[in-house]
Order: sequence, then C-alpha cells, then structure tokens
Amino acid sequence: MDMMPEEKTRVDFNAPVSLVDQADVVADLLDVSRTQLLIEALRDEIEELATDDGFRQMISDAYYSGETDFETVESILGTEEAMRMKLFRASLNRDPPEPQIESELPPPAEFYDGDIPEWTPHDEADDTESRT
Amino acid sequence: MGERAIIVVATNVLLNLATPVVDGRSRAPTGEDPLRTVLTGYDVHVPSSVLGEVSEARGSDDLLSAAADLVFQASHHLTTHDVDADIEEPLDFGLDRGESHGIWLANELSAAMFVTDEFNTRNYLFVSLALDDRNILFTTPHILCVLTDHGLFTPQYVDAALTYYVETKQWDRQYVDQLRNTYLTE
Repeated sequence: MDMMPEEKTRVDFNAPVSLVDQADVVADLLDVSRTQLLIEALRDEIEELATDDGFRQMISDAYYSGETDFETVESILGTEEAMRMKLFRASLNRDPPEPQIESELPPPAEFYDGDIPEWTPHDEADDTESRT
Repeated sequence: MGERAIIVVATNVLLNLATPVVDGRSRAPTGEDPLRTVLTGYDVHVPSSVLGEVSEARGSDDLLSAAADLVFQASHHLTTHDVDADIEEPLDFGLDRGESHGIWLANELSAAMFVTDEFNTRNYLFVSLALDDRNILFTTPHILCVLTDHGLFTPQYVDAALTYYVETKQWDRQYVDQLRNTYLTE
C-alpha cells in the first residue's frame, strides 16, 4: 500500500509460555519475526470481526451512545457505513413539520376510493413476502 | 389550525405505510391506519413517476400488490407533478426514477420534509447529498414515532409496527431501536 509509514507504539503483555513458544515455531517456519506474526494475527482478527453481525452491532451501539467516535467506526466498518450511521445519529432529534389534523381522521369509506383490500396468504408457505 | 405542511414522499414510503393496513395476518399491527394519517396530516406531493411505480407493483396477489392497490385508492389525496417535463438534468446518483424525481421535487417546492425508506443502503447517503436541505430528510419509522409524539398513534401500535417492519422488511434494526429509545420510552 502506498501509505506513509505509521508511527509505532511499544506494547508489552503477558501470554502463556506455551503459546509464545508455538508462535515462535510458526514465525520461524514462515521466516517472519514474532512481532510481524502478532501484527498479522491482530489485523486478521479485526478484519474478521468487522464482518461479524454481532460485533458490527456492538460498534454501532457504542457509536450511537457516544462511547465510540466516527474515526473508530470508519476505520473498522468502512467510510460508507460510518457515514450512514453519522447521518442517522444526526437525524434522530430532527423536528419534522407538525401534522395538522382537525379532530378525527376521515372514515375509511370516505377516504379510500373503495373498500380496504385485505391480503392473507393462500397457505403457510406463502407467509413471506416475495417482493419488497 | 395552520396550513398543512408540504411534504414529498418516495414510492417505498407510500407502500410501507399501506402494508400493515392491508396485511390480514395476525403478525400485522392493527388499530391504526398510518397511510390515512399521513395523507390527512400533511399536504403530500409526489412526482408522477411515483404513481407509475405504484401501478407497476399492482396486479399480483401478494402483499405488496395489495398495498399498492390501497395507495392507488388514496391517490386522489396526493398532489402529483409531471417532473419529467420540468427537470433539466436528471440526478446522477444511481437512484431510481421515483426517488430522483422526488428529491428534485422536494428541492423545487422547498418541501418541509422528504420521506424515503432507502435507509438500509448507500442510497441514504446519496439522498442526503442531493437534498438542498438535509434536515428535511425523514424515514417512515421516524415519522411514525413523531406522529406518536403528537398523539396520533398509540405507542403500543408504533412499537408493534416497528417490530413488524424490522421482521418483514429487514429494516436496519439498530436505527429503528435508536428511534424507539428516542421517542417511545420516557
């Protein structure tokens, strides 16, 4: 990718010895450093989570409640989805024009030209909409 | 009582408002008529292409067709505009005809509200961009919530209706839940 090298930060963490040993064996076999292996593993994990519905839901909940910012959502879910959520969030408290209804609604017979059609499925298998 | 506000709606909104009214299954919410309420409370304008799209949905024996029949039976409450004749350059956003014409009309009329249910897709971004004033953009679930605030629907009805739409139309559950939290809980 044609990007400026990003600033790096040092992370220390404890992990089970056997797991680290395993990682070292794998890194050796692949001829990469332990650090490279870990970075790749983290990237893969985040990428996979981003396609998981439950996780996407957690991210958007966090965004709607203000716990996560736009940049975080954008980096994980992509610009389009983040923009859509930003517009939704901004729209929630929008005030639409007031409806004007004198007292009661006109009765259906007066309002509709004809009787209200009622749709019921022919059988159980039809109980889904074939079109949207 | 003032003048009714001028609003422009997309085809999907008319069909969605009509759907629970004509759906005879037990899962459909009952007790209110969102189509009649919206068409009574607002001065609703549409491009003629919207009625064309409604007509195209008729003629089958499925739920959508029944909803289209009801919209058609209420079409004398809509003010239609022949946008094709007036439009100078079509919007080039990959939106369908009715939607593009609706946006054009909303801009032209300086409508107080443009309602569309394209909120599951990237089209929502395009609609936001194409409107002169993004603040007039609303969706059917949002309108139902607002009308509940005005006492025109019971919260129970709208709660059931939102669940119905999420389940049958695959509406974005989280967006709908946000609306629920904003309007339906005290």
